[in-house]
Amino acid sequence: MKTIEELLQEATQKIQDVKDSSSLNDLRILYLGKKGPVQELMKGMKDLSKEEKPIFGQKVNQLKQDLSKMIEEKKEQLAALEMQKKIESEKIDITLPGRKPELGNAHPLNLVRQELEDLFIGLGYQVIEGDDIVDDEYCFERANIPKDHPARDMQDSLYIDPNRLLRTHTTAIQMVVLEESAPNLPIKVVCPGKVYRRDDDDATHSHQFMQMEGLVIGEKVTLADLKGTLEFMAKKLFGQDRQIRFRPSYFPFTEPSVEVDVSCHICNGKGCPTCKGTGWIEILGAGEVHPNVLKMAGYDPEKCSGFAFGVGIERVAMLKYGIDDIRHFYTNDKRFNSTFKRYE
Amino acid sequence: MRISRKWFNQFMDVQDLSIEEMAKRITDAGFEVEGIEHLSQGTNLVIGHVETCTEHPDSDHLHCTTVNVGNEVVNIVCGAPNVAAGQNVIVALPGAVLPGGEIKNGVIRGVESNGMICSLLELGVDPASLDDDQKSGIEVLPADAPVGNTDPLGYLGLDDEVLDIGLTPNRNDCLAAFNMAKEAGAILNREVKLPKYEGASDVGTPSNLHVESTTSKCPLFYGKVINHLTIKESPKWMKELLAASGVKSINNIVDISNIVMLETGQPMHFYDAKSLPSQSIVVADGFDEEYTALDGVTYKLQPEDIVITNQGKPIGIAGVMGGDDSKILDTTDSIIIECAIFDHVAIRNTARRLNLSTEASVRYQKGIEPLASKKALDRAVQLLIEYADATGIEETVQYGQVPYEPKSISCTLEAINNRLGTDFNLDEVVDVFTRLDFEPEVTHDLITCHIPSSRTDMEGMADLSEEVIRMLGYDRLPSTLPVMPMTEGKLTYKQQLTRQARQFLCAQGLQDCLTYTLVSTEKKDNAIFNNDEAIELASPMSEERRYIRTSILPSLLDVVSYNRARNIKDINVFELSDVAGVSGAKMHLAIAMSGNLQQTRWTSDVTPSDFYTLKGLVEAFFEQIGIAAQRISFVENDMDTTHFHPYRSAKIMLGKDCIGLLGDIHPQYGKNIVMAELDFDALINVKKSKIKFTPVSKYPSVSRDLAFVLDRTMPVQKVVDTINKQGRLNKEMIIRDVEVFDVYEGEHVSKDEKSVALSITFQSDSHTLKDDEINQVFEAILEHIQKDCNATLRS
Repeated sequence: MKTIEELLQEATQKIQDVKDSSSLNDLRILYLGKKGPVQELMKGMKDLSKEEKPIFGQKVNQLKQDLSKMIEEKKEQLAALEMQKKIESEKIDITLPGRKPELGNAHPLNLVRQELEDLFIGLGYQVIEGDDIVDDEYCFERANIPKDHPARDMQDSLYIDPNRLLRTHTTAIQMVVLEESAPNLPIKVVCPGKVYRRDDDDATHSHQFMQMEGLVIGEKVTLADLKGTLEFMAKKLFGQDRQIRFRPSYFPFTEPSVEVDVSCHICNGKGCPTCKGTGWIEILGAGEVHPNVLKMAGYDPEKCSGFAFGVGIERVAMLKYGIDDIRHFYTNDKRFNSTFKRYE
Repeated sequence: MRISRKWFNQFMDVQDLSIEEMAKRITDAGFEVEGIEHLSQGTNLVIGHVETCTEHPDSDHLHCTTVNVGNEVVNIVCGAPNVAAGQNVIVALPGAVLPGGEIKNGVIRGVESNGMICSLLELGVDPASLDDDQKSGIEVLPADAPVGNTDPLGYLGLDDEVLDIGLTPNRNDCLAAFNMAKEAGAILNREVKLPKYEGASDVGTPSNLHVESTTSKCPLFYGKVINHLTIKESPKWMKELLAASGVKSINNIVDISNIVMLETGQPMHFYDAKSLPSQSIVVADGFDEEYTALDGVTYKLQPEDIVITNQGKPIGIAGVMGGDDSKILDTTDSIIIECAIFDHVAIRNTARRLNLSTEASVRYQKGIEPLASKKALDRAVQLLIEYADATGIEETVQYGQVPYEPKSISCTLEAINNRLGTDFNLDEVVDVFTRLDFEPEVTHDLITCHIPSSRTDMEGMADLSEEVIRMLGYDRLPSTLPVMPMTEGKLTYKQQLTRQARQFLCAQGLQDCLTYTLVSTEKKDNAIFNNDEAIELASPMSEERRYIRTSILPSLLDVVSYNRARNIKDINVFELSDVAGVSGAKMHLAIAMSGNLQQTRWTSDVTPSDFYTLKGLVEAFFEQIGIAAQRISFVENDMDTTHFHPYRSAKIMLGKDCIGLLGDIHPQYGKNIVMAELDFDALINVKKSKIKFTPVSKYPSVSRDLAFVLDRTMPVQKVVDTINKQGRLNKEMIIRDVEVFDVYEGEHVSKDEKSVALSITFQSDSHTLKDDEINQVFEAILEHIQKDCNATLRS
């Protein structure tokens, strides 16, 4: 029979050498089991004297505790090792592609339209739409365009019958808004929509395109207010460094009327092919609403005034993204449409 | 409007301004100068005399010349076929800069050449104004040309610069050079002196001429007989101005009618008096016959055309072109002047139909100021006396009147500043009106402007404000934002929902599209989910764009084909757009899908673009916008089995209303596409369920699975409905979910059957469900699906 010391030494060695948790379990049974040497030693205690018994008992208990502790420690060690092995074996190739969802995106014209809408909503404007088919009266008469104007010829606009046509400009929505709002003030709306002209489709013309009309009427809304508003819009759309300039023009429904240029965002106004060397790009037409237009809608032009402007959505999108052909917008090539994932 | 520097010089002093400076200032004031044209270009030129001309020893087409250029004789090698000794020519001396480059001393095939004898083409003259000889050879000057003169272009009258000015439609008064000059004078702040001609036509002997109109489309007609005049060449100034305006010089009489039109904006017509059978001119319409105009072309007249007649026969198409029979000839010695106003819409229609856009018709179409006719008549008589020796002038014969009332507009300085948002002072504003010839009067704070007859565009204060800002300059306009009561910026509910739908579909992997509203007859006939009659345009631009669409899908199917043709396999697109028919407009949502919607191929994860994917998308969207699942059902498509696969498509029902169609494309109509078209307005108008919190059950849920075999044609929805009907325990609905987890058709079941496996989840809000409670409900379920759905349980 081995001494306690011999047992401890032998077991320590074996526990140290053990390689896996099942062998460790075998060792535990071997040494600490009912038939193991520790138990044997306990059994042998009965032959000892009264004085020796407690001393020997203490030693055996100590041995038992030491062995248990050693086995526990080893067990944890092995568990950690085994876990390490297991997770190592689970290694994946993190460079393989993820399950990336295919993302769609808004059509570039809807994207620009939303960007414009949001910009004006932030300034307190409402968004008002209308039908593509409008009464000739709202498209022209109310916009101060007389009956004998060439645009009102059946050959020049897309008429359905003598009184109805596909709207030629979003000004037609403006005229309905004015009439429905009269005589309340203020009006602050933007009116986006599709418009139609008798044009052959080519790189710069489209028989169908999108416009957004802006209209503000209040007690004293000035041409200078139009300039400030459009400057805000130009900076939001094309960058904070942008400036705008007005050039005199003519529209029957505004007086004074202006063409609005924005300083070129490509060359910063130095002159480049995009701005044809002028440093300026024409982006829209605008003006103070003509007193006749206010009168026809039921407002007293002596008591209120306001401005209106009309932006071409295609024009803005083409400038912003450098698109060279307006037909791209209506071809819907997946490779084109999927380019426009966010506001910029 | 083309107007030249020389023309401006007749009226005002602009010597100190470069043409570019003039162009910029005129443009800034609202008259966009679209181009600056130099009638010719070249420096270091001189008039030379060719003293000798011999053939070049080493060339079959070059000539060696000696040219006297005044202070010396130079050797020049010249390639022109028409060069000859004794000619006076234009010489570009070394250092001259021509449109084609700089002239240098040189040696041409061994012969010294110190200059170039020029053609007008080489001096940048518009080829359209040159004849063939001028284009192919050097310009030969008259024998009396001053040799040594260093301004040959000035000698030829080609030293002019022309501004091509675009006019906005409200300023067609500036189609008249007199008016354009006044406007330019106001812009450039110059004093303008127009020729004095007023009243020149007021004299004359009694006349037998009779003029009248039988149509309301001619409100005014002046006629005047001039019994003696001399046809000859026009004076140089007249020829130069006509050339600068792009009008060909013919003879003094014809040129005067053109010059007066260019000056006053009023077209006139001169008839050869002897070729008219009678002295009675009647304006009429209602003709339906062929007629030969002075361009020699025969035109077909229609009843709405305004026609000038003599003895009942047409002698001119009013406002468009005169007749061949009565045109001015070299032998003409007496004329009848026509100076009239015609209805501009009638002229437009006639000119367009006959495809005849003349200087006259363009002016009539754009409108002529009320007093222009009298001005033109006066100016014409004055010029005919001066340049055509006119005598035997008869008194003017007049039909009708043009209503004209002198107009005054009054407003305050404050009103102008309030409209513009500016702070202009009275002096500068009054100065603008003075420059514009508005003869402003200021009393107290009121400015009264007396508007010239030509400014028919001036109606009120707003117009005055525009004159002020464009003349004082837009660079003086401040930039402010409107000051007014707070307004709420917002989208309507429909706009919000439209954005939500777009966002939802994009997030699922579909592409937003925009296609044309106008479609062909074929697309119109293939409308999907439409019960309206399509609207046809009154005069469509092409067959492709004849109808307003009542359905989006035919256009989206084109998008699928377009992309497929470019080897793109997965095409999942949608469009939200208005459609319209005779009963009104509404918004539709159309979806077309082909290939896969989502896929990661190496993991074999695929969401195919098929019926169930599209159905799921539609269901999820309804759920997202708050339409309860119970209100939506998919029922057999008995509406359109032409475009849809009859056995793989459904009507989408919202309650009892069909709000759309969804399904596979019919194999005879297309391949491998699943598509849907929905009435989006129906989704906007339907009442949505309110979001309300209900406490989550504290008690555990229990699931039971069951599998059964049933007839292949039995809808699984019926089984689910049957199960749900049995779901109550003491009035509490304890079935919380019925999930289909397997559907099998194939060799392990008979041909007419399918196997379906379901998982049912039970839960109560009041207690933990006991086994026998669940069994009680489960037994009832089993009994009813066997009885009501003919299902056989699988063990």
